[in-house]
Amino acid sequence: MAKRTPVLTASGISKSFGPVTIVEDFSLEVFPGEAVALTGRNGAGKSTILRMLIGATRPDAGRIEFEGVRMSETDPAIRRGVATVIDDLDFFPDLSVVEHLDLLARAHGVPDPEAIVDDVLAEVQLVPQSGQLPGTLSSGQRRRLALATAFVRPRRLLVLDEPEQRLDVEGVAWLAARLRAERERGLAIVMASHEPHLVESVATRKVRLVGPSRADIPDAPGAGTAEDAEDAGAGA
Amino acid sequence: MSKKSKKLIRQLAAQPDAPAAAPGGPDDVDAAADPYAAFAGRDWGFRFLPDAPAEPVDEKALHLLMKEWRHGRASRTIGQVLGDAYFMIFSLVVLGAMVVNLLLNSNQHAAGCTTDACLAGRTLLPWAVLFAVATLTLAVARIFGPVLASAAEGFWLMDAPISRTRLLGGRLRGVVLGAFLVAGASAALLALLAGAAPLGVTGWALGTGAAASGLMALAAFEQSRERRVVVRGLQIVFGTAAAAAVVWMVLVAAGRAPLLDALPTAAPWLVAGAGGVLAAVFGVAAFRRLNQIRRARLLSGGSLVSGMQGAMFALDLGLARDILVEREAVERGHVRPTKGRGLGLRALIWRDAQRVVRFPKPLLGLVAAALVPYALDALGIALLLPLVASLGLAAALVPFLGSLRVLTRTGGLARSFPFPTRDLRNALMVVPTLLAAAWMGVAFPAVAGVAGGVQRAAPDALAVTFAIGVAGLLGAVRWQTAKQVDFNTPMVATNAGALPPALIFNLFRGLDVCLLVTAPLMFGAPVYVSIGLALVVYFFLGVDMGELQEEAKEQQRIAAAEKAAAKGTAEKIRISRPKR
Repeated sequence: MAKRTPVLTASGISKSFGPVTIVEDFSLEVFPGEAVALTGRNGAGKSTILRMLIGATRPDAGRIEFEGVRMSETDPAIRRGVATVIDDLDFFPDLSVVEHLDLLARAHGVPDPEAIVDDVLAEVQLVPQSGQLPGTLSSGQRRRLALATAFVRPRRLLVLDEPEQRLDVEGVAWLAARLRAERERGLAIVMASHEPHLVESVATRKVRLVGPSRADIPDAPGAGTAEDAEDAGAGA
Repeated sequence: MSKKSKKLIRQLAAQPDAPAAAPGGPDDVDAAADPYAAFAGRDWGFRFLPDAPAEPVDEKALHLLMKEWRHGRASRTIGQVLGDAYFMIFSLVVLGAMVVNLLLNSNQHAAGCTTDACLAGRTLLPWAVLFAVATLTLAVARIFGPVLASAAEGFWLMDAPISRTRLLGGRLRGVVLGAFLVAGASAALLALLAGAAPLGVTGWALGTGAAASGLMALAAFEQSRERRVVVRGLQIVFGTAAAAAVVWMVLVAAGRAPLLDALPTAAPWLVAGAGGVLAAVFGVAAFRRLNQIRRARLLSGGSLVSGMQGAMFALDLGLARDILVEREAVERGHVRPTKGRGLGLRALIWRDAQRVVRFPKPLLGLVAAALVPYALDALGIALLLPLVASLGLAAALVPFLGSLRVLTRTGGLARSFPFPTRDLRNALMVVPTLLAAAWMGVAFPAVAGVAGGVQRAAPDALAVTFAIGVAGLLGAVRWQTAKQVDFNTPMVATNAGALPPALIFNLFRGLDVCLLVTAPLMFGAPVYVSIGLALVVYFFLGVDMGELQEEAKEQQRIAAAEKAAAKGTAEKIRISRPKR
């Protein structure tokens, strides 16, 4: 049997802000067709880990690799393979919703970009807003547009930070189904989420983060970031 | 951290319902089928309002109460603040005296000048200023309100049953008076520079100030009527008049148009009278309708001001512009989507070209920038042509570099595009470069000396025009791509408190590049020096210095880790594998 190679490898990464250690000696491997959900209370370090995994924040220690290449968010090969929906997505104020998606699909060399853009636009229920400029979208619509950017382009790893934010119940159900379908087609997914339905439906593995520690208060709650890994119910 | 906080944290840790946080322990999140079940029996201790009816509110008393709270929180008196800032005040007084002296000298010099250029300046400049100030006043009024309220006032006060007229009346008076003072001071300054007599300076200051305050009152009245068309229409009329006055002035100076010496000297006083009447009539009308301005309309201006305040606190003009661009896009709201073209970087370039067609207004700025070299030659200040013309071009090109700005300010969108950062930047500079080339084509005759000034042979003029154009383009790129000030860096102690070193330089970004590239031209150095400097600037603009520093740190960290591992002191790397 051929040895499986991980899409994403994080080895012993740590991150501190001043005396507060947010992430300590965190390791993770994500394989194709696997979805890892990071859970834990607010401030447990989920977003910090995701930002390190995509190269937006550098870890203080440890190493992160995407398909064997050291993670760097400016590397075009990594940009080509890693789709992200985290809180730092910006929009061109003068391009409409559909033009954003069209531009992204074309930039990635997607053949017949108009067809895929139309389909994804319909899927995220933004067809009526296709001509709107991003500044006029509601927060939920902006979230749907951000999610759509991940689905109109090629990707081998999808990193999502609380993708359920601002979505209505139907939206969360759609997202869960879509991510599950993506995973079953071989996409590797890492996401942070507070939504039990999304985690249960999508994740093949859950990693619960405990929280930051403070160097100056050794007995503070959650001292020492730790993670528990276990198989989730969604199945691979 | 205080002892009290530490104690609280320890108490929390000792609580029996604190989360089981032991590394490697069971995942209690998944064990609970209903995450809210744990809170079902908790006594939340709700508190409700008494049944007695609410009492009427006096808005003035409410304001006084807020004022008292604010005063109560102040830790220093005004006297103490001024005492601490004595150095700055002293500097301002000295600087002010120097500026006044300079203005008076300039006034005396200009008053004695009898050339067509000076006469045209003296006659037409105050009119150009009047129209330009009127345009600017209307633009500011339209963007900000002009009557506005902060988000806090909207949330905490306007939900209450209070009169908005009493709440906003002072603000209306403030903007009308503010317009009078700012516009009057600007007009006085420029009339002085043009060599006007003291009576003329006073007349133009009063006339322009009164016109601005009248238009501000008119805009406030229109705001209460929820109309924009009148303000917009007047803005176009005054803008066109200002441009016509400037063009006429340049044509007179170049000897291609007759001097209009028949303009009545009483004109500024007539303008002042008309402005005063306008301010009184529309000021009263707007005051009466203050209660009818919608809260959303008031808060929209307030949120814009708070955003601009934040940007100006960081001396970040780019951020201030971003806020205005975003506002304009929101006002427009909807566009007719157009099809993209090409794949890869070509798709980005094509979208940039489509933007120029969709938002053609900045092209007017480019046309105006192309006239700057002619105006400078005509006014006899050709020595400064390279710098001033490049600055004009840089300002005109800034709106065409919006995509570059968006892809620079946050990493999220740039990360979505599968290109190296340098390629991305180069692609987004294609359309602005073509526009700069068009500018060079129009400006070339002026640089060659067609409109007076320095006479240059065609090849030399071509090279100088190229250097100026490149300086303008790179200045605009620098302005749009400069990183925001990092307040996490070590601070420098100043009289104004601790400041990050990059804060002050933020004001000069773009200007520095124009000055660097064009300075050799003004000092008579060969043109290839400027072009060489431009190449160096281009190289550095394409390099993300922060990224390079981070990269170097990362390499050092990896090298240290490898060294430690070789000595056997490194901890073993633990990789959690999925259970199968």
